[in-house]
Amino acid sequence: MKKTSLLIIFLFTIGAIISCERDDICPAATPTTPKLIVQFYDRVDTETIKFVPQIRVQGVNNNNVLEGYNAVNVQKLELPLRTDTTATQYRLRRNYSNNNNGTPDDPSDDFPNGNEDIITIKYITEQVFVSRACGYKTIFKNVTLTIEPDSDNWIASRQSVTDNQSVEDETTAHFYLFF
Amino acid sequence: MKQQRTFIYFSSIICLTLFCWISGYAQTDSVAVSSVDSLKIKEKYGLRLGVDLGKIVRSYIDDEYSGFEISGDFRLGKKLYIAGEIGTEDKRDVTPYLDINTKGTYLKAGIDYNMYQNWLDMDNMIYAGFRVGASTFSHTLNQFQTYNTNQYWQPQFSSNQPQEFNDLTAFWAELILGIKAELFNNLFMGVNVQLKGLINQTEPTNFTNIYIPGFNKTFDSTKIGVGYGYTISYRIPLYKKDK
Repeated sequence: MKKTSLLIIFLFTIGAIISCERDDICPAATPTTPKLIVQFYDRVDTETIKFVPQIRVQGVNNNNVLEGYNAVNVQKLELPLRTDTTATQYRLRRNYSNNNNGTPDDPSDDFPNGNEDIITIKYITEQVFVSRACGYKTIFKNVTLTIEPDSDNWIASRQSVTDNQSVEDETTAHFYLFF
Repeated sequence: MKQQRTFIYFSSIICLTLFCWISGYAQTDSVAVSSVDSLKIKEKYGLRLGVDLGKIVRSYIDDEYSGFEISGDFRLGKKLYIAGEIGTEDKRDVTPYLDINTKGTYLKAGIDYNMYQNWLDMDNMIYAGFRVGASTFSHTLNQFQTYNTNQYWQPQFSSNQPQEFNDLTAFWAELILGIKAELFNNLFMGVNVQLKGLINQTEPTNFTNIYIPGFNKTFDSTKIGVGYGYTISYRIPLYKKDK
């Protein structure tokens, strides 16, 4: 009978483990939908990485500033791309500061200082299965980046890292911007 | 889902308590008879057929599951049985990013070895068993949504176009531990747990096998699967042998 009770305890334990099985959570270390990585270089000395002073990044048709890019000095941008469509636009404003127009108490007539350039990223999306917990990620193929021309562009030119640029991971830069 | 598992777990406790109680009675009964020295005890041999009650109950209470399993075993020797199961399952799995239906049938075959020393004419089993299992099945991916750690842009891409993944197969090996108790003459009730190891499977393109009928849920990190069963079975007695 002792053997029997041992076995029954064992069965209970297995039952308990099955009953309280942990839910599937996508591990943070798993590479999923990648962001577009843009590296800034000097327009004259094109080998030199350069910091953009006080950049503020905001998506076109998005009411929020991209987190981590509200008037900061950066030499690299990580831009999330829209997965539900095939184009994403960003406003890149350098030397950003808020001009309160001489009325600090009245935010309605405030305007931003600095020079704003708009970049447009176009691509084809592809859904790739990752795992049971993470489901599908979106990767981007045939990615092009254009600088929308305006009267005073601060970004001089752009260059993709490879000829037929795709964004499939976040390990290296995908585009270089020269200014 | 959690509630259901809790229900299943507690119902297993009730079943087991019932078995212990019944076998306790059976033992006191037989002690009284044992004073007869010359009693020759015969053991019954036959084909035992049963169904998995757990799957039937779950089909009723769970809208996203339906399954049925027939099990059978045939006694070869004093302790050895050949045993097998055949079943069908249809299950829906919904995670925040995936919504999948799995449908298929499975077959398991192997042996059971009785480790329990029965008193006199008792006929209960505490057994360990081994099976090889095979399943053919299909997945329907009803919908999915792109997983993105960054939610600056919303919504994420989602697809409502059902996708079919057909002609999938899987093979696995399985260890079983269980008990079977004779409730009435030739009528048995049993409970078992199964530990499975996946040997081979067809991987669908740009997808994975989320659930395999007979093998149950798959895991990202391991090839291990688990299962349980509550069976009620009837033995068709064919012949008797001396104990």
